Amino acid sequence: MSAPKTIPKDAQVMIQILKDMGITEYEPRVINQMLEFTYRYVTTIIEDAKTYASHANKSNVDADDIRLAIQCRMDQSFTSPPPRDFLLEVARQKNQTPLPLIKPYTGPRLPPDRYCLTAPNYRLKSIQKKFLFQVSSSAGRISVPRLSVGAVTSRPTTPTLGTPSVQSVTTKVGTPVSLTGQRFTVQIPPPSQTTTTKPTTPSTPAVSNVLINPSLIGSKNILITTNMVSQNSGGESLKRKHEDDDDYDTL
Amino acid sequence: MAAVQGGMGDADIKTDIKTEPSADGFGNNNANDGRVLSASPGSSSSTGSNKQTAPVTPEDQQTLLAVLQFLKKNKLTESVEILRREAGLPENSLDPKANESAGAGSGGAAGIVDLEGGDASSLLSRVTGSSSAGAQAPTKVAEDQPDVSVVLSAYSQQGDPTLYKVYYRDLKKFIETVLDCHRAELSQVFYPLFVHMYLELVYNNHESEAKAFFEKFSGDQECYYEEDLRILSGLTKKEHMRGNETLLDFRTSKFVLRISRDSYQLLKRHLQERQNNQIWNIIQEHLYIDIFDGMPRSKSQIDAMSGSLAGEAKREANKTKVYYGLLKEPEIELPLDDEDEEAENEEGKPKKKKPKKDSVGSKSKKQDPNAPSQNRIPLPELKDSDKLDKIMYMKEATKRIRLGPDNLPSVCFYTFLNAYQGLTAVDLTDDSSLIAGGFADSTVRVWSVTPKKLRKVKSAADLNLIDKESDDVLERIMDEKTASESKIMYGHSGPVYGISFSPDRNYLLSSSEDGTVRLWSLLTFTCLVAYKGHNYPVWDTQFSPYGYYFVSGGHDRVARLWATDHYQPLRIFSGHLADITCTRFHPNSNYVATGSSDRTIRLWDVLSGNCVRIFTGHKGPIHSLAFSPNGKFLASGATDGRVLLWDIGHGLMVGELKGHTDTIYSLRFSRDGEILASGSMDNTVRLWDAMKAFDDLETDDFTAATGHIHLQDNSQELLLGTYTTKSTPVIHLHFTRRNLLLAAGAFNP
Repeated sequence: MSAPKTIPKDAQVMIQILKDMGITEYEPRVINQMLEFTYRYVTTIIEDAKTYASHANKSNVDADDIRLAIQCRMDQSFTSPPPRDFLLEVARQKNQTPLPLIKPYTGPRLPPDRYCLTAPNYRLKSIQKKFLFQVSSSAGRISVPRLSVGAVTSRPTTPTLGTPSVQSVTTKVGTPVSLTGQRFTVQIPPPSQTTTTKPTTPSTPAVSNVLINPSLIGSKNILITTNMVSQNSGGESLKRKHEDDDDYDTL
Repeated sequence: MAAVQGGMGDADIKTDIKTEPSADGFGNNNANDGRVLSASPGSSSSTGSNKQTAPVTPEDQQTLLAVLQFLKKNKLTESVEILRREAGLPENSLDPKANESAGAGSGGAAGIVDLEGGDASSLLSRVTGSSSAGAQAPTKVAEDQPDVSVVLSAYSQQGDPTLYKVYYRDLKKFIETVLDCHRAELSQVFYPLFVHMYLELVYNNHESEAKAFFEKFSGDQECYYEEDLRILSGLTKKEHMRGNETLLDFRTSKFVLRISRDSYQLLKRHLQERQNNQIWNIIQEHLYIDIFDGMPRSKSQIDAMSGSLAGEAKREANKTKVYYGLLKEPEIELPLDDEDEEAENEEGKPKKKKPKKDSVGSKSKKQDPNAPSQNRIPLPELKDSDKLDKIMYMKEATKRIRLGPDNLPSVCFYTFLNAYQGLTAVDLTDDSSLIAGGFADSTVRVWSVTPKKLRKVKSAADLNLIDKESDDVLERIMDEKTASESKIMYGHSGPVYGISFSPDRNYLLSSSEDGTVRLWSLLTFTCLVAYKGHNYPVWDTQFSPYGYYFVSGGHDRVARLWATDHYQPLRIFSGHLADITCTRFHPNSNYVATGSSDRTIRLWDVLSGNCVRIFTGHKGPIHSLAFSPNGKFLASGATDGRVLLWDIGHGLMVGELKGHTDTIYSLRFSRDGEILASGSMDNTVRLWDAMKAFDDLETDDFTAATGHIHLQDNSQELLLGTYTTKSTPVIHLHFTRRNLLLAAGAFNP
C-alpha cells in the first residue's frame, strides 16, 4: 500500500503532539498506535456517556454524562499504582513477619494446590451402561494425559463402563492408590501391564470406573484410580482407559 | 524568633516568615498594638504577597478571619479589637468557609495522599510544633487548629506567582557572585527549586505564569535533567499531575542535597536577610540538606553523584552494615568416585571463590566477618541432585580459563532471528545448557544449547513401568517421543519482560506486562503457578542463587521477594520513586539490588526488608546490574551509556566506565571476577578490566565521612576490547563455567 500523498488530519495532529513533547525519533507505527488509541478511547467514553444519559432518561448526552463516563473509565482502566506512603506502610507490615523456615525434603516446593495451575481443568461426564461394549474396546491403550493449562494435548480418559455411580474424577475405587512422594505420581496398583496397545477383550464388563487423569505436573496431583479389572484375564488390568474421541462425542 | 512586621497602622496583613524555623508555639508572638503577628512558625507564610490594604477578595477575608480566630484563641483581645477595627470586619467573624475547607483538608487524609491535604498536614504539624512529616494528615490535630491552618495553607500556596521569577533570578544572581568553591555546591539547589516552584505554580492553577517560568529558566538546568524537564514541560495543569505517581512522590519526598557547612551558611544567611522568602520556605519544605563538615565539593564530584530523582543519598542511608561476603560452600561428600576425590579436595572448593583478597575459601575455617551467617535467612538444603550439580561444577571449574588483560575470552553470540523486535528477555542456565527467550507475543521459548534435545517426562502410567532402581533412571523418565529442539510455553497475556532459570534447572520464571510472575516446570514444560501481586507490568525477575526465593520488580515501584511455595510475597521492598527496572540477588542471597527509573540503585536486606544502601549517580534509568563474584562490588549500567562501579561495604562509587554510546542492557562479571563484560543497544560487547578497576581501592582511604570520591578517568585503560555485531543489540551476557562468554540478542535489521 503506498503512502497517501497527504497525511490525514488526525495523523498530522499526532505528529504535532509528538513534536511538542520533544520526541524526535519514533517508528512510524507509533502514529497508528496513537490514532487507534484515541479512536478507541473516545468511542468508549461516548458510548458510556450515552448509556448513562439514557439511564438518567435524558434525551441528549450532556457534559455531566461525559464527565461521569471519563471518571468511571479512569478508575477502571487507567489506574495508577498506589502512592508511596501507602506502599511504605504495607511494606512495613509485611516485612515484620520473619521469613518462614523451609521444611526439608518436601519435593517440589509449590503453594497449596488451589493457588497452583496444576489441577485438571475439565470434568468427565458419567457414562451410561449401554455404551459399555463400545468403550471397552478402546481400553488398553495407555494414555498420556498430561495436563497442561492451555495445551490441547491431553486426551481425556474416561470412566469406562461400569457402574453408574461412577462420576468423574477422583474416586478411588478398589485398591487404593498409593501416592508416593515422588515427583511423578503414580501409581496404581499392580502389575503387569504392558503398555502395548493390545486391546483387551471386550469381555471385560467388570471394569469399573473411573479414571482420572493424572496430571503429571507438580507432584501433588493426581489421582487415579483403579480399576477393578482384576477380572480381566491375565494381566490386562487397565489402569486407565481411554476413550476415543468419537466415543466421547457420543456421550 | 519571630520576625514580625507590619508597620503600625498598616492594615496590611503581612505574613512574614520567621527567620528560623522554630518549633515554638504561637504563644510568643504577641502582637502589640496594631502589629499583626506573623503566622504560625514556619508555615507557609510567605510569599510576601502583600495584598491590598482593604481586604476585598474572599481569600483575604478568609485569611483575616482566620487570623482573628487565632488571636481570639490566644486571648489577645486587644489585638483582636484593633484588627477588627482596622479591617472593618463584622462582629461575629466565624467563617463557615474556613470550616468547609478544613473539612476538605482533613478529609484528604485517607488513603491516597491528597496533595492539598498533605501540604495542609505539614503545615498543621508545623503549626502545632511537631515535626513536619509531610505524610498523611494527622487528623487528630486539635480541633481548633484546622480551620486556621488550612486557610493559611491555601494562602501559602498563593505565593504571588509573578514574583517567582524574580525570586529565582535573585537566587541565581546571588549564587553567581559566590566564591568559586561554594558555587558548585550551591548550584545543586537550582534544579529541585526550579521543579518545586514550577509544580507549585501548576498546582495552584497559574498556568501561564508556570509556562513563562519554565521557558525562562529550564535552559539553565544541568543537561542530565533534560528528560525530566521534557516531561515537566508537558505538564501544565493540575489534573496532569494527579495521575503521575512519580511526580507526586517527588513532591512529597524530600530531595536530598549534600552541602558543606560553609556553603550552607552562606545560603542561609542570604535567604534570611531577605524579606520575601518563598525560596527559603520551599527549601525547608521540600529539600533535605545533609550538611557535612569539610571541604566543599568540586563540580565534577557533584556531577558524578547527582542525577537521581531524589537527589543524593543521605549519609545515614549508607551506614548500615552489609554482609557482603559469600556463604561458605558446604562440604560435599563425594560419592563413589575415589579417584576423583583427591583431585576435588585439592582444587575443589576455593576455585570459585575469589582469589586474592579474602580467603573465604574453606581452607580457612574461620568465619569471614563480612559474610552473613549460614542461617541468617533460611535457605533450602541441598538435595542429592544439587550435590551432583556441585560436583559437576567443580569439575568444570578446574577446566576454567584464567582470563586477564592479555587473555581475553572468546565470545559466542546467539542471535535470535525472525523475532520481529519481539525478543524482550533472555536467560541461560548456569551450566549453559538451556537458553530461554521471553517475547512480546507473550510466549516463552526454551532451546537447548547442547546437541541434547529437550524432552518432557513421561506420563504417570509410563513412569510406573520403569525400573526405578536403575542407574539411569533420570534418563528413563524422559519421554523420547517428545524430543525437540525447542519448546514453547504459553500462558502469559502480555509481553514477557523478565526471565530466570532456577539454579537446579527444574524451573523457569517469567514476568510479564500482565502483572503476573509465572513458574514453569522444565520437566513437563507447563505452567505451575502464577504469582499475582503486582497489578502492573513486572519488568524483571530473578531466582536466588540457591533457588527457592525469587525477586520481582515492576511498575508499581516496589520489589517483592517470593518463595516458590508461598502464593504471597514474603517481603516488599518499597522506597523507589519510579518503576523498578532491574532486580538482582547478591551471591549470598541475603541482599537484593534494585535499579530503577528514578536513577538510583538500592540494596535491600532480605531479612528485614530495609534499604541498606542507596547509590546515586546515574543520569538515566538503570537497566542492568551485576554483582561481582566475590560479593563486594556492584556494577550498574543505564541509558546514559556509562557503567558505574560501587563498593557495597562502604557505599561509595569507585569507578566509572565510559565507552558505550547507548543503553547498557547487560552486564556480567567473569567467573573469577577479572573481566566485566557489558552489552548495549549500540550493538557492541565491551570487555573491561575489573581487576584493575578494583585494585587501586585496596589502598585508598575512603573518606566515608564526607563521601568525597575521586574517580579516575581511566576508562580507556580499562577497556580491553570492543566487539561489534552487525545490527544486533546485546541484551544478555553469560560466562560459561569455563569462562567462555556467550551473548544473546535479536537481529534488528
